[in-house]
Amino acid sequence: MPELLPEDKKRITPKRPRDFVCWAVALAIVGGLVYTTVTNENYQWPVVFSYFTTESILDGLVLTMILTVVSMVLGTLLGLLLAVMRMSHQAPISGLARLYVTFFRGTPVLVQLIFWFNIAALYPNISIGIPFTDVSTPVDVNALMTPLTAAIVGLTLNQAAYMAEIIRGGFASVGRGQYEAADSLGMRGFTRLRHVIIPQTMPAVIPATGNQVIGMLKETSLVSVLGVAELLNSTQSIYARTYQTIPLLIVASLWYLIMTMALSVPQSVIERRFSRSTRRPAAATTAVEPAAGRPVSTTRESLL
Amino acid sequence: MKADGTIVARKLCKSFGSHQVLRGIDLSVSAGEISCIIGPSGSGKSTLLRCINGLETIDRGVLRVNGEDFGYVERERAYHAVRPQVLAEQRARIGMVFQQFNLFPNMTAEGNVMSGPVLVKKVDRKVARDRARELLAQVGLDGCGHKYPAQLSGGQQQRVAIARALAMEPSIMLFDEPTSALDPELVGEVLAVMRDLAHNGMTMVVVTHEMGFARDVADEVLFMDGGVAVERGDAREVLANPREGRTREFLERVL
Ligand SMILES: Nc1ncnc2c1ncn2[C@@H]1O[C@H](COP(=O)(O)OP(=O)(O)O)[C@@H](O)[C@H]1O
Ligand SMILES: [Mg+2]
Repeated sequence: MPELLPEDKKRITPKRPRDFVCWAVALAIVGGLVYTTVTNENYQWPVVFSYFTTESILDGLVLTMILTVVSMVLGTLLGLLLAVMRMSHQAPISGLARLYVTFFRGTPVLVQLIFWFNIAALYPNISIGIPFTDVSTPVDVNALMTPLTAAIVGLTLNQAAYMAEIIRGGFASVGRGQYEAADSLGMRGFTRLRHVIIPQTMPAVIPATGNQVIGMLKETSLVSVLGVAELLNSTQSIYARTYQTIPLLIVASLWYLIMTMALSVPQSVIERRFSRSTRRPAAATTAVEPAAGRPVSTTRESLL
Repeated sequence: MKADGTIVARKLCKSFGSHQVLRGIDLSVSAGEISCIIGPSGSGKSTLLRCINGLETIDRGVLRVNGEDFGYVERERAYHAVRPQVLAEQRARIGMVFQQFNLFPNMTAEGNVMSGPVLVKKVDRKVARDRARELLAQVGLDGCGHKYPAQLSGGQQQRVAIARALAMEPSIMLFDEPTSALDPELVGEVLAVMRDLAHNGMTMVVVTHEMGFARDVADEVLFMDGGVAVERGDAREVLANPREGRTREFLERVL
C-alpha cells in the first residue's frame, strides 16, 4: 500500500459518542410515546375515528375557518388604519391609535370576548343615525350581539391591535429616502402610501401575518365559551352527552393540527420568498451579485 | 403656470433644534444656469438643497423658485406654509437626484420613470411608458426598462433616478452628491448624463466633490462652510484663484 502524503489526506470530523447518544435518546422518547398511545386503551382510538368526520364536527370545522378568515381580513384592514394613524404627525391621532393598541393588547382575549357578548349591559340601546338629520335607527344591542357577532367583533378588534403593530414595523422598515423620493416627484400622502410605501412593507409584514393567521386559527377555539358552534364547541357538545372527553379532544386537536400544518406550507414558501432578500422582488436574480445557494454550515461550532 | 427655472434665496436660515445649519445663505440661479455647491462635510450643502424643494422647512429668509415664493406665502408678519397640495405641485416642477438614488425597489426601471407622470400627473400609462423608454434611452439605458433596481449597478441606478426626475419635465434639477455613493469606475457615466443635460439648457444646482465636473460644466460655484456662503463666483475663477483662505484650504485638500 503506497504511503499517503500529508497534503493528500482528507480532513474529516469523526463521529463522537455524543452523536449516537442523541439518536438513542430521541428514538427512546418517540418510541415510548408511540407505545403508550397504541397500548393505552383510554385513548379509545376507535371512538376518535368514528367521530372524526361526523357532520357536526365538520360543520364546526367550517365555522372555525370562516371565523379565522373573517376576523383576519377585518382585523388586518382595521390594523392598517391604526398603523397609519399611529404614524400620523398629529399627536391626537397617533395618541388614539396608541391607546387602542395598549388597551386591546393589555387585556386577555377571553375577557374581551365575554365582555362583547355582554355589552348590552353597558349600552342596552344604541341609535345609528346621521348627525343633524332625522335619519336614525334605534338598535337593540342585546339582539344584535349574538354569540357569533360577539365572537367576530372580539376576535377582529383584538387582531387589529396586533396587526397594527406588525404593519407599523413594516412602515419602520422603509427608509426615509423612499418617502423623500416620492415627495420630490410631487406625490401626495395616499398615493405615496399606496404605491411606494405599502408594497415595500410586504417583506416584513407578510411572514408575520402568516403567523397571525395560524395563531388566529387556534384562538377561535376561545369563542366556544360563548356557545358558538365552532370546532372545539362541537366536540364539547358531543362529549357532554357521551362522556368520551379525551377521544373527542383528540378529534379537535387532530383537526387543528391538520389545518395549521396545511397553513404552514404556504407560510414557509412565502417566508422564504420574502426573506431571501428583503429589498428584492422574488423573480429577480441580480446581475451584480450572482445568486448564491443556501448557506452551508462548515464550522464546528454549535450552541452547546 | 410659471416655471421659469430660476432660484433666488436671500438670507436663508435653518436650524435643527439649537444647531444653526444655514446662517443666511444667498443664492441666485438664472434659467439654464449650472451652479455647483462645494464645501466640507457638514457645512449645510444638503440642507440647502433640501430646503429648495421643501424636504426641509425654512426658519427665515426669502426663497423664490420658478418666479414664486416656494412652500410659503408671504403675509403681513410672516411667511405661512402652503397647503400640502400646493407644495406638491411646486415640487413636481423641481427634479431631485439623491446620493443614495432612492429608486423604488418594488418597481422596474421603467416603472420608476413612469411613476411620477402616472401617479401625479395622471398621464395615460401608454404615453408614460413610451416617454419612459425615450428617457431611459437618453440616459444610455436602452432595453434595461424591465429590470429592478437591485439588478442594476449603482451607476445605472443613478441614471434611472435622473430619468425618473426628468419624466416630470422639471424646470430645475437638484443633485445632492449624485456620484458619491458610486464605485470610481461608474462615476463617469453619471457625469456624462449630467453634462448632456447641462448642454440642453436645464437649470441645475449640483452639490458635488467632482471638481473636474464643476470646472468644465458649472457657470457658478458656491463654496459653503459652517452654514455660510464663504465664496461665490465664476466657476473657473473660484476654482483656479480662490479669494478666500478657507476656499483655498478646502480646494488644496480635495484636489
Ligand atoms: N434632520 C436633521 N436633524 C438634525 N441635524 C441635522 C439634520 N440634517 C442635517 N443635520 C445637521 O446639519 C448639518 C449640515 O448637514 P448637511 O446639510 O447634510 O451637510 P453636508 O451636506 O454639507 O454634508 C450637519 O451638522 C448635520 O448633522
Ligand atoms: Mg450632504
